Amino acid sequence: MAFVSYRFLALIVILFVVYFAVPKRFQWIVLLAASLVFYASAGYVGLMFILATSVSIYCGAMGLQAISDNNAVYLKANKAEMTKEERGERKKRVQRKMRLVLAAVLLFNFGILCMFKYLHLGNVRFIAMMGSSRLLSVSLAVPLGLSFYTFQSTGYLIDVYWGNVTAERNYFKTLLFISFFPQITQGPISVYEDLSKELFTEHSYSYLNFSRGARRFLWGMFKKMLIADALAPYVNGVFANYGEYPGYIALLAAFGYSVQIYTDFSGYMDMACGISQIFGIKLTENFERPYFAKSVAEYWRRWHISLGVWFKRYLYFPVAMAKWNKKLGKNVSAKSKGFGRNLPAAIALIVTWAATGIWHGSSAGYVVWGLLNGAFIIVSLWTDPVFAGWKKKLKINELAFPWRAAVTIRTFILVTFIKVLPEVGTLRDGLGLWKHAVTKLGIPESFDAIFPDFIDYTQIFNIKLALVFTALLFVTSLLQRKKPLYEYMEKVPWLLRIVIMACVAMVIIGFGFSQSGGGGFMYARF
Amino acid sequence: MEELLELLNDINPDLDYDTVDNLIDGRVYDSLSILNLISDIEDTFDIEIGPKWLRNENFNSASAMWNMICQIREED
Repeated sequence: MAFVSYRFLALIVILFVVYFAVPKRFQWIVLLAASLVFYASAGYVGLMFILATSVSIYCGAMGLQAISDNNAVYLKANKAEMTKEERGERKKRVQRKMRLVLAAVLLFNFGILCMFKYLHLGNVRFIAMMGSSRLLSVSLAVPLGLSFYTFQSTGYLIDVYWGNVTAERNYFKTLLFISFFPQITQGPISVYEDLSKELFTEHSYSYLNFSRGARRFLWGMFKKMLIADALAPYVNGVFANYGEYPGYIALLAAFGYSVQIYTDFSGYMDMACGISQIFGIKLTENFERPYFAKSVAEYWRRWHISLGVWFKRYLYFPVAMAKWNKKLGKNVSAKSKGFGRNLPAAIALIVTWAATGIWHGSSAGYVVWGLLNGAFIIVSLWTDPVFAGWKKKLKINELAFPWRAAVTIRTFILVTFIKVLPEVGTLRDGLGLWKHAVTKLGIPESFDAIFPDFIDYTQIFNIKLALVFTALLFVTSLLQRKKPLYEYMEKVPWLLRIVIMACVAMVIIGFGFSQSGGGGFMYARF
Repeated sequence: MEELLELLNDINPDLDYDTVDNLIDGRVYDSLSILNLISDIEDTFDIEIGPKWLRNENFNSASAMWNMICQIREED
């Protein structure tokens, strides 16, 4: 069931009525039923895989909790009579057991992820003999939201392992946490502590939640259907044959891609958060105006925030704090204190960024993409003190508008350069597009010259409209620096507010549906 | 607690550690400075801080850090 479709809207309407009609203690069950219907509509085979994940995570979490609880009971009864060595020995034994359970469940779930995402085993046709002469050929589609729900559920399991959360005893609640439908396709990748509170709390109908949620959903549709989908034919067409067009067209396609992927992904997030808010559920925010970042590191704190938090929590810190890494840092510190002190963090950053690249895709382009992001962050870590000295000498006021604007534009160019690399085709194609854009830049003779010949008149009109809407998005982003958009809207008289929302809805229906036809989201492929 | 305050003052002497309670949430410390601080705490207090302790609430204030150190010592 496509997120942008009349069928999905019908599901939301039915869910809304049932959710607030049933006794509040059953609300989470209604959400679970809707999530399973939504998931099953994408294919029953995928449903089997998410069920397998939820069962393994549930059993693993319960197992870890049982080992931990038994140990606590034993220590409570015997701690006073045990020596420090005996306690240490017991701690090691318990940790070994827990590590074994954790490793088995992680291996199972990341195994499924690797099977589909990296080994592409889903594309292998399984052939079985049926009767005497018929062949059964099955091709498995990648389960919907596989990367997202695998990360979310394994994060929960690691939290149980660390003792940060208590394992959920109700299997169906675990299943809802993993399969909650607004976020299943593209996240956000929620932390159990946060999402479980939202899902299992009883919610009363609130007009404020309904109106804010509906407005945010509409805003997400606006971004997705009127900007991202309008830019898609231009970007895809130029990326496929960039060599045939002047460099300025390749350059526009590259920056167009940055706008397209932001409006597509953040549009989805607005829709997911909006739907959830209608039911009183607050999802983790995944974006904080990322193109206003002043460094690559800051950009990554503002873009796909939940993925960054996952990697930081479950990979970066464990690697940075691993005994072997700390020992290495101390050994190097004996020779060079500054370098040695930052070495464990640098190693952890390289590992994390390589993993982030691989999460996005298995091609060399994505690995380079990840490592380049990491390299920019590490280099800025080590050069920051040097630049700080220069800025002081040159009396640069970092708070002044020209400086802030310059570093923001620089960061936007840098992240666009990196993010285009794996998207053109191979890594060589990605680098080729930039080379072509710079060496064959040229100057367009007229405004219409920026449109390649494969773009038809309707598409040109849609793109021009998208440019106006992008300017509007830029202005609203500037406004959001002071307060959330809904606060501005709520100051507008209610009648005018309704007129504005009706206009937005009509523009979406009039132009959005005609050009996208309820197309898919870009991040769903990750 | 005094040893901990000394460590924190070495990193940033301008902060009032009796009142500040958003060292992580307010991005006063980034992930790199936290790692360096952890290394110093481990050396000073002879403890091992595992990744499970790396939660914002354990590092947002000096008193939260001190509570964490006490808990780790108790667990050992």
